[in-house]
Amino acid sequence: MTASAPSASHTVEGIARVVRVDAGMAWLEPEQTGGCGSCASASSCGAGSPGIGEVANRIAARRFPLDNPDGLAVGERVVIGVDPHSLLKAALTAYAIPLVTALTAGGIAEGAWGSDLITLAAMASGLGVGLLIAGIAARQLARRGDLAPRFLRRAGGGRGFDATICETMRSSESPAPSATDSRAQRVTP
Amino acid sequence: MKEFALMMIGAALVNNVILARFLGLCSFMGVTTRIDTAVGMGLATTFVMTVSAMADWAVQRYLLEAFGLGYLRTITFILVIASTVQFTELVIRKVSPGLFRMLGIYLPLIATNCAVLGVALLVVEGRMNFIGSTLFAFASSLGFSLVMIIFAGLRERLALAEVPRLFAGPPIGFIVASLLAMAFMGFSGIAAS
Repeated sequence: MTASAPSASHTVEGIARVVRVDAGMAWLEPEQTGGCGSCASASSCGAGSPGIGEVANRIAARRFPLDNPDGLAVGERVVIGVDPHSLLKAALTAYAIPLVTALTAGGIAEGAWGSDLITLAAMASGLGVGLLIAGIAARQLARRGDLAPRFLRRAGGGRGFDATICETMRSSESPAPSATDSRAQRVTP
Repeated sequence: MKEFALMMIGAALVNNVILARFLGLCSFMGVTTRIDTAVGMGLATTFVMTVSAMADWAVQRYLLEAFGLGYLRTITFILVIASTVQFTELVIRKVSPGLFRMLGIYLPLIATNCAVLGVALLVVEGRMNFIGSTLFAFASSLGFSLVMIIFAGLRERLALAEVPRLFAGPPIGFIVASLLAMAFMGFSGIAAS
């Protein structure tokens, strides 16, 4: 997996946090930036706090390794990207293949026997076959490196190198606080 | 065959899940900032909606109706949908960890998508046979995906347009959604000859 940055304008980007570094590899966990857990009802459905939603999110389960020639440190936030065509190919592989095989098997069974129970069994079998085919196709995609996210740039906001540099620059550039500034600092959360 | 074709067109376009039934509006507004993510979400929803409609039909026919437990329908369907999402997540993770990393983000969102439950309840109320129910759910989910992708395309263009500050963000999004809904009302005039 290469760490070279592709063209950012044609990349689906996401933010991840470095959780472990070992032997030239950085392990990253994607951050949940929107959708479930971010809406106004997050506190009531449990998605935004430890509970059903947190278990369902399984952020830790989506942990993945990345080559680390850029010296990423634990706690750093980085922007990662995947090619949009890869996203489309992955979605088609995972979802369209099993659906097509299931519907085809169901259509054949319905045409041949016309029984709900047989059609149900045929569709379930077709779904299973489709998932197996999807697994084979996904392995081919993975072998070509189509499913691998790429490191694009550091995102900041973590406890890593960039955050430290930013804090150092802020503290060295900011003038001595006046009376108004100190009041503003008190008001600002 | 013609009956199935008309039913599918009706479910996808005339009685569109989002624009006519107003279901699944969370993901409609939340995951349509880019076409790529809208396609991913649309395909994932299509899969889950179709598979859970199959499972819901079987549960309704062979469990709830058979034992007179119709009053448990909604809660049972919620359980079936959550199980389908978990099953899909487990299978994708087992079959391909790479796919799971790339697409896993959409699955928890679908578990709380009211469109999936809404279509399952419509299937039961329609009293269709198994293949009819499955095709109805499949067509409804195709309509859902179509609207998601169209809306994502419009929002990508809106991001480049100069929008008055008062309307920037969600307000212009809702205005565009209403125009899209009005455009889809044109399908209600379709007549089978």
